[in-house]
Amino acid sequence: MTLLERDPQAPAAWRGNLPVTSRYTYGIAGEKFFRALKDEGKIMGAECPTCGITYVPARAFCERGLSELTEWTDVGLVGELHTFTLVFVDYDGRPLYEPELVGFVSFGDGGIVHKLEADPDTLEIGMKMEAVLKPKTKRTGSILDIQHFKPVK
Amino acid sequence: MRKVAVIGAGMTKFVRRALETPKELSWHAAKMALDSCELTMDDIEATCFGTAPDAFDGVHMNGEYASDGAAGWGKPYMRSYVGGGTGVFNPIQGWYHVASGMFDVVMIVAEEKMSSFYPHAQAAFVTIFDHTTERALKPNLLWIFALEMNRYMTTYGIKKEDIARVSVQHKRNAAGHPCALLGEPNITVEDVLNSETLAWPVQRFDVSPVSDGAVAIILAAEHVAKRLTSKPVWIEGVGWYLDSAYWTNRDLVYPRYVEYAAKMAYDMAGIKEPRKEIHIAEPYDPFDYKALHHLEGLQLADRGKAVELYINGTAARDGNMPVCPSGGLLGVGNPIAAAGLMKIAELFWQLRGEAGERQVPGQPKRGVAQAWGDLMQVGTVVVMGR
Ligand SMILES: [Zn+2]
Repeated sequence: MTLLERDPQAPAAWRGNLPVTSRYTYGIAGEKFFRALKDEGKIMGAECPTCGITYVPARAFCERGLSELTEWTDVGLVGELHTFTLVFVDYDGRPLYEPELVGFVSFGDGGIVHKLEADPDTLEIGMKMEAVLKPKTKRTGSILDIQHFKPVK
Repeated sequence: MRKVAVIGAGMTKFVRRALETPKELSWHAAKMALDSCELTMDDIEATCFGTAPDAFDGVHMNGEYASDGAAGWGKPYMRSYVGGGTGVFNPIQGWYHVASGMFDVVMIVAEEKMSSFYPHAQAAFVTIFDHTTERALKPNLLWIFALEMNRYMTTYGIKKEDIARVSVQHKRNAAGHPCALLGEPNITVEDVLNSETLAWPVQRFDVSPVSDGAVAIILAAEHVAKRLTSKPVWIEGVGWYLDSAYWTNRDLVYPRYVEYAAKMAYDMAGIKEPRKEIHIAEPYDPFDYKALHHLEGLQLADRGKAVELYINGTAARDGNMPVCPSGGLLGVGNPIAAAGLMKIAELFWQLRGEAGERQVPGQPKRGVAQAWGDLMQVGTVVVMGR
């Protein structure tokens, strides 16, 4: 129950919503990135030869100079744990049944924020983390084709 | 205030559904604008971005989301938003960045990806109405425009077949535009009158199509502009004005929001007799009757008489005052904010003599572009000259 509903002095209110349903396209970079993830189980990065920056996930263009990024490379499935958190409430503020581990795993000059599967007490910033992918037949071309990251044994 | 020039422009194709993300559409336009005047990101000192409601692109705070493609990285960057008026307000924001002396070179990008909204972008508009008095009736813009068009036609006794001439001329003009979605060289008044009725008196071909696209321009201070190009196009006047947000408290027959914005811009540009001093007009034309409405607000026709410019040929590409030589929203397409900025880009190309097949004859010296939006009560106007 919200505070408003508990307060007998609260003004009368009704519920409404902003009905928004979207149909997104992957985009130029997304088409390539998610095809490689789905079909080949690869995480792709793109390097800007001018800046020397490797964007992961790969992008179509460099934000610094707006040049097209044509040099795409497989950056592997293992990155480095840049930071992590243990989440106890969901986004409506309700307690989670099981706390969830979320981490930022760095690749190149970027990285991927995703769920972690590990004993929280064993996690250390800087450790190697590996992407665990769904089996190929279950992959749909989504960031959830990566199930989670786990520490490299 | 310092003089401000447009020195470059870029524009993507306007399409029904783009593969590109909003970031990528913005990137294409921004890169083209840079290349058009041989600048790089290092030369850009600040960036102004525009899109209409976030609901279209399907990303809340679309300005922040699209900022990398919109040349925003590492720059003082801000999104402006006045609904449909955004595309012509955007360059006004850029203009005061430069006129004030704060920046010498500013990138302006406007983008819209309307195809994201499912099933049809029209439904996005229900989110802009008052939740207590209006939204329960499930209004959409077609309603409002049908009510306004009916009032306008009836007040002045204008025939629907004459209003249809606007749609025909704009769609025919767009046939020469390499970025156009709906250029139709052979469309006729009968085609418009025979198209599906959406909300009487509005029919399918009275309305511009939902589209995806982006446009960018680059503004520069006088000393930079003169160094970089022999053909700067000056922003001579800017104006913007808000009428009542209650459409039930507005004059539906005459757009005062355009009149006041236009007068502000004309005063700044030193224009006393707009009908003689404006050589090209790009009024906002999401609906055919709206172009007429706006021409009257821009003081380019007497009230109720704008349609005569189409009947007597004045508005034609080779007429005395071509209207929407670009093809307008009705012909090129209507990715909201991008469509407004397209009008600025069109004046830039026309005044430089670089409009290709669309070039109006007679070496025009001055043009006016206008857009309209917010809750249908904002007018934004820019006067450009060489
Ligand atoms: Zn780069």
